Amino acid sequence: MGTVLQLRNVALGFSGLSLFRQLSLDIDAGTTLAVLGANGSGKSTFVKMMLGLQPLLAGRMTWPKGRPREIGYLAQMTEFDRRFPIRVRDLAAMGAWRGLGLLRGLDRAGRLRVDAALEEAGVLDIADRPLHTLSGGQLQRTLFARVILQDAPLILLDEPFAAVDQTTEAHLLGIIARWRSEGRSVVLVIHDLSSVLDHCSHALLLGNGVAAHGAVDEVLTPERLVAQSYMSQSQAAWMFRRPETAPTQALEMGDV
Amino acid sequence: MFELLSDMWGFAFMRRAFVVTSVLSASVAPVGAFLVLRRLSLAGEAMAHAITPGIVIGFVTAGLSVMSLLIGGLIAGVGVAAITALLARRTILRSDASLASLYLIALAAGIFILSAAGSAVPLKSFLFGSILGIDDASLLLVGGVASVTLVAFAFLLRPLIVSTCDPVFFESQVRRPWLVEQGFMLLLVLNLLAAFKTLGTLMAVGLMILPATAARYWANTITMQLALTFAFALLSCWIGLTLSYVFPETPSGPAIVLVAGGFFVVSALIGPLGFGGRLRKSPKPEQKKTAQTPIEESYQ
Repeated sequence: MGTVLQLRNVALGFSGLSLFRQLSLDIDAGTTLAVLGANGSGKSTFVKMMLGLQPLLAGRMTWPKGRPREIGYLAQMTEFDRRFPIRVRDLAAMGAWRGLGLLRGLDRAGRLRVDAALEEAGVLDIADRPLHTLSGGQLQRTLFARVILQDAPLILLDEPFAAVDQTTEAHLLGIIARWRSEGRSVVLVIHDLSSVLDHCSHALLLGNGVAAHGAVDEVLTPERLVAQSYMSQSQAAWMFRRPETAPTQALEMGDV
Repeated sequence: MFELLSDMWGFAFMRRAFVVTSVLSASVAPVGAFLVLRRLSLAGEAMAHAITPGIVIGFVTAGLSVMSLLIGGLIAGVGVAAITALLARRTILRSDASLASLYLIALAAGIFILSAAGSAVPLKSFLFGSILGIDDASLLLVGGVASVTLVAFAFLLRPLIVSTCDPVFFESQVRRPWLVEQGFMLLLVLNLLAAFKTLGTLMAVGLMILPATAARYWANTITMQLALTFAFALLSCWIGLTLSYVFPETPSGPAIVLVAGGFFVVSALIGPLGFGGRLRKSPKPEQKKTAQTPIEESYQ
């Protein structure tokens, strides 16, 4: 297995604004790390740091086995151009372009791989539809197919379930489970605590200048969730009201 | 009609004009298509004005040679692009406001210098182009720019598609994403310079934008967008040149751009992604419903 990425005493932020300090963690192969926090706590900035798009204010980020050639990435859709003239199949195939260089086209095996990824994401039947006709869920499935085609050992997903219904979310969580079983590391920015408990091995909770990291049940305690402004005192009291059975049952009933 | 065409072909300058605008169409089509897709249509127009002082200073100091035009225009275009990027990065102004400020200064400076120097070149042909002015050197310029553009696009096409459609994903994939953007701006400046003699500074960008926006109403894939942009640009040039031959007082630039404008209006009206498509879709709610998958329905 081994460690994919190590962070030591990392501080992250922008000039004049520190988001958090002193974060040390290892991301091991096969782990699924949930990144949680209130708006503006630095979740997307943390993901961009791993991609090398956000410089560290302090500390060290190292890749013990070398930086993977490909890092799977699904960004928030704020800057995505949904009117771009491209078909579902070609958008997904972007995930395989890096291996092809600038000029080479997809061979037969490559096209079969694209079809398999579309099938797994549940969008093969709409593979020839233009992008602007897709619903939010169909677009997100297509972008998952692109991540599948990136075939990366480390996969970063920034709020992948923000605009999808529960059926699609369950389907996409199944793909994430498959990645984990293959030994890939997944970092997932997510808001739904029940999904975190069911599908993630580790959690990173950001907020109020603190970055708490550890196994899910160590990090997501009511005291910490309140202290880091993830939820209010009354929300936490309601959610964790039956300590002996609680987090799981209570969280299934309602989310944050 | 046939007589008119054979008369027209009798003139060497008309034959040159047809050849040069055909090559120009192939060159400006991909640039125009991506200007539109990257939401830079107005930046293209601004850049066309911004290269004016470079061309004028080149002309005043070294005459209307292709080299003076190319060097002066390139310096002005690259200079304005660089200062725009600097202002957008280091000051409160966004890039659109920076570019607007700079191109207005540049355009005014260009016209001021041209008038102050008491130029022998009529202002009209400078601003709107002249098919009479196409000499061997101009042909070489257009041919050279077209070759550079098409080869560059063969390499830039994939990065341009990814960076236009999903810029954040693109940044995560490459080490120097700005190279693609700056390379594209350089191709834009080169193509504006190539189009300058035929179309003039004010109309040069018209042959890039209008065929591309017209094509946008028909194209669902990037290949179709590029092919249709080229087809509309080529037809605009051929029909526009014929018009400017039939009406000898009309400069070629506006004639060509007006025809391209015609393609745009017709496409907006009847194209499947324009008003036409919306009109065809809206009165058939039952048919629309049967074509939907359960997932689609849940999003309605």
